[in-house]
Amino acid sequence: MIEQINQIRAEAHTQIFSAPDPEALDRLRVHYMGKKGILTGLLHQLKDLAPEKRREMGAVLNEVKTNLEQDLKTRQTELKRVLMNREISEANPLDVSLPGTYAINAGSLHPITRVMNDVVQILKRIGFSVVTGPEVELEFYNFEALNTPEDHPARDMQDTFYINPPVLLRSHTSPVQIRTMKDKKPPIQVIAPGKVYRSDYDLTHTPMFHQIEGLMVDEHLSLADLKGVLNYLIRNLFETRSLRFRPSFFPFTEPSAEVDMQCIQCKGKGTDCRLCKSTGWLEIGGCGMVHPNVFKSVGYDPDKYSGFAFGMGIERIAMLKYGIDDLRSFFENDIRMLEQF
Amino acid sequence: MLLSLNWLRDYLAKSDMKIDPKDLADKLTMRGIHVAGIKRPSFSLENVVVGQIKKIDKHPNADRLQVTQVVTKAGENAELIQIVCGAKNIAEGDIVPIALPGSVLPGDFEIKKSTIRGVESFGMICSGKELGISEDSEGILQLPKHSVIGQPLTSLLGGGSNDTIFEFELTPNRPDCLSVLGLAREIAPVLKTKLREQKQIKFKITPHRTSSIIKVEVEDPAICPRYVARVIDGLKVQESPDWIKQRLEAVGIRPINNIVDITNFVMIEYGQPLHAFDLRKIQSGTIKVATCKTPTNFSLLSGESVGLEVGDILIQDGDRPIALAGIMGGENSQIAADTTSIVLESAAFLSTQIRKTSKRLALHTESSKRFEKGFDLAVVAAASERAASLLRDSMNANVYHPPIDTNEYGAKEAVISIDMRDIRKITGLKEISAEKAGELLDSIDIPSHKKSVNILSVRLPTHRPDLKGNVDLIEEVARLEGYDSIPEYFPTSLATYDRLDETNFDFEFRAKNLCSSMGLRETIHYSFVSEDLLRNYGFAHDGMISLKNPLSDEMKVLRTSLLPSLLQTYSYNLNRKVQHQRLFELARTFSWDDKEETKVKETPYLAGLLSGNLSGSGWKDKPIALDFYHVKGLVENLVRQLTTVKLSFESSKNTTIYHPNRSATIKLGLKEVGSLGEIHPVVRDSILETHEPVMLFELNLEALRKYERTTTRYKTPSKFPAIEIDLAFVVDRNISCHAVLENMKHTGGELLSDVSVFDIYEGESIGASKKSMAFHLTFQSLERTLQDSEIQDLKNRILANLKEKHGAELRS
Repeated sequence: MIEQINQIRAEAHTQIFSAPDPEALDRLRVHYMGKKGILTGLLHQLKDLAPEKRREMGAVLNEVKTNLEQDLKTRQTELKRVLMNREISEANPLDVSLPGTYAINAGSLHPITRVMNDVVQILKRIGFSVVTGPEVELEFYNFEALNTPEDHPARDMQDTFYINPPVLLRSHTSPVQIRTMKDKKPPIQVIAPGKVYRSDYDLTHTPMFHQIEGLMVDEHLSLADLKGVLNYLIRNLFETRSLRFRPSFFPFTEPSAEVDMQCIQCKGKGTDCRLCKSTGWLEIGGCGMVHPNVFKSVGYDPDKYSGFAFGMGIERIAMLKYGIDDLRSFFENDIRMLEQF
Repeated sequence: MLLSLNWLRDYLAKSDMKIDPKDLADKLTMRGIHVAGIKRPSFSLENVVVGQIKKIDKHPNADRLQVTQVVTKAGENAELIQIVCGAKNIAEGDIVPIALPGSVLPGDFEIKKSTIRGVESFGMICSGKELGISEDSEGILQLPKHSVIGQPLTSLLGGGSNDTIFEFELTPNRPDCLSVLGLAREIAPVLKTKLREQKQIKFKITPHRTSSIIKVEVEDPAICPRYVARVIDGLKVQESPDWIKQRLEAVGIRPINNIVDITNFVMIEYGQPLHAFDLRKIQSGTIKVATCKTPTNFSLLSGESVGLEVGDILIQDGDRPIALAGIMGGENSQIAADTTSIVLESAAFLSTQIRKTSKRLALHTESSKRFEKGFDLAVVAAASERAASLLRDSMNANVYHPPIDTNEYGAKEAVISIDMRDIRKITGLKEISAEKAGELLDSIDIPSHKKSVNILSVRLPTHRPDLKGNVDLIEEVARLEGYDSIPEYFPTSLATYDRLDETNFDFEFRAKNLCSSMGLRETIHYSFVSEDLLRNYGFAHDGMISLKNPLSDEMKVLRTSLLPSLLQTYSYNLNRKVQHQRLFELARTFSWDDKEETKVKETPYLAGLLSGNLSGSGWKDKPIALDFYHVKGLVENLVRQLTTVKLSFESSKNTTIYHPNRSATIKLGLKEVGSLGEIHPVVRDSILETHEPVMLFELNLEALRKYERTTTRYKTPSKFPAIEIDLAFVVDRNISCHAVLENMKHTGGELLSDVSVFDIYEGESIGASKKSMAFHLTFQSLERTLQDSEIQDLKNRILANLKEKHGAELRS
């Protein structure tokens, strides 16, 4: 019987691995292991054997059955793979150059938002916190508390929109400095981003634009610290190292400075450069040490505290960073512009 | 302020020193005296000479060109030089300017030997414009016939054409630099020279002093702290000498006559505006400085009539105004062709009032520009002397001496002490000594002496009215030492704010990012729009806030909603053939509110607009038209990610902008926090002129921010199997999905872990005014495996309650 079994086993193995398709394989399964299959028949014959023999043969038959089942499974997988491979190779190749069709195309952030956030994130890393203030302001916060009384010639530098004096649209983000200092005792380390408004509309001015203002107040801050912070900011924003500080005047800071960055186009060479008008430098903001009168107006002791403030126009930075040449395009909202960001 | 380099040289000890304009400009700029431009800095007329055209031939290869032979040396045997010329107005024998190779003409135009269409040319015959000495570009500049051939052009034309003009952009704190003298003070140390000693001006005491001819009364020294009046006679009105005219023209002032020109000359020189009255017109014999008491009209010497108001400072002949003090003289007292005697006024007027008046009248004169920023009481007298001496010396005029001076003592110079430790603390210049600071200040005529190691006593000179306190001197020292020499430190972080103090910046940025990730493009619009725009879309109301001084009607009213601007942008882009638009904006809206300090409440809003189809590229999938539920889904997603709130949706209120049946008001509890829906078809057709549906939404971010999602509480998923069933029922069409869901949740309790609608059907088979709603229900417990029987039981109760409450019939 053993021989017979071994022969069946060998035959079945050969047949299984030469079955051409799943149907043939299924027929083989029925042929050997179906209700009337050969192995099933042999199993039925076991009951006629002596108990010793029956146990021995039972074990052998079971092993063969397991082996065949395994063979069938293996062959089944093989045949499936063959079929799949055929299907894959017969499929028409896609035109992979056709555009993708995910239902949602990503939108975009306005370049102003992007630059504003860049500046905020860079300054947050060194401990600045964001504060905001109202866009509709009082003259007190926008001017008087910033050492700019009525009839101060510096008020000419800013043409202000009024709602009803003394209520106005803030002409800079500096009133947020005042609100912050009135609200909190030193030390202070804040930035104030936001919209500002000036009554000016031409090629290089829009009646609304964006600024970011920084303020740091403590007992021992100097112009040297201001230089350090601004150099850090510009280095991270523009990946350029060269800044110059040029004496200037703002009513609310003294000493005051204009900050110029080495021209990113001509790299400071200043020859035939339209961007920097061949000066080699680009104005990017104003800054200075907080004027003692500003400290007095918020109840800080100017003998004890010192501090610095800086401000810059976001549009200006965005224009330089992205190579935008028309200021007004920021507020036209032409999709052909927006989709580039 | 324009400065002529030649004029400046008059004030330098080494007046003929070599000066590199570009280098000087850079150094001044770095000292805070900002040079915005240099005119004619880069050309040299050195190689431009007087020449004569000897012969003219046609150019062999060009009809419009001629080949000339010129001489640039005197004498019969002078060498002929060949120059190709394109101008028409030349003839043999003409005396003309010749730019020889090596000349650099204005505009950095270097003349070189060249070949023009095959003919060699050794220079250029120049027009006045090419030389930068006149605007006339019509043809070659014809020089006087008697000119010496070979003479450098500069010596023929005088110095004027070889001047360099600096254009300064001065900060308002430096009125002293609105003068040649003031700028010379800043420039001398830069050039390592000193100011030239000015000659003492002396006048003979005349038998008639000014005070025997006229009187001067100043109503209040506060409005006029010093008034110097001088009578001068024996004058004859005529053209000024050339050197005065040239100087004035160089800095952009038109010469008028010798008297007016000299007052202007001294104003530019000293920074002190002067005025000359015709003595015959001072009929009362008394010049009175007073404020206007009753509004009246006044004719200026410009011919313009202005309305005077109470408070304006006037110069009066008795009680009759003859000048708007510090701004402009009157027509009734101006210098006439036959004027022979004048009263020369040199005075100081209250800056704030000059500023107020000139601003109100929009009259910004050279005089008012200076007075409104400050004055130097000492220079009031000096300028009067200077002008008088110029009038005397240039036309033998008779100066009545002494003058009337309402404040002979001028100004007292204040003395303040500065502590070097303060300078070091503020500037970061840790090493700077009192000696060094003293030297720096001294270099610009600010005298000081050292009182101790750290204390410097400084006399504040009258020519620097901007210097008042310690901090002004700290700035001077830092500026003169140079900001470049200030070291660079990195301050230690003082971060004291934490998340609880944070403003809405992060929240708003997160909202913007979410919108962007859901396919919307951010826009930014002006905060002010036209009233009509708001009205068109139903957002105009009594609470609108208008600007008092808008730039135009288009930018007059502060926005009460962001949607009108988005619709404007939609139209703008639609006109550029962009159908598919996804826009959003996050900005503040404005409304009156008495509770606010400014009476204006600012509320941050997030608004969006979607048009076109849901999916973008149409080559594969069937386009799905956008509808209400798409934009609702967007809003729900947004709010779910930003906040922890549950919004509810009710029929819309603004049915001007929204389709009345396809829009909703968004509510948070009882509070209205926004709106969304499809645009009203009438608005779409009439205003936007499109047939595309447009979806809008607007959300009040201030209301939502209170529920900002700052953290998430994690719930362990159930370990027990879920049982899912679908139920469909027929209800009246007006029953809302929300009501059915709430009812099911109420009945299902904790075990109904999720329920969602998956189909809505309306059709004849279920009867008119009915609809079928199909829901997918998931039952699951956190504690145990649920039994079929209890689910069956729960399902039956849900059906019973729905039937009782909403008349829902299970659909079979």
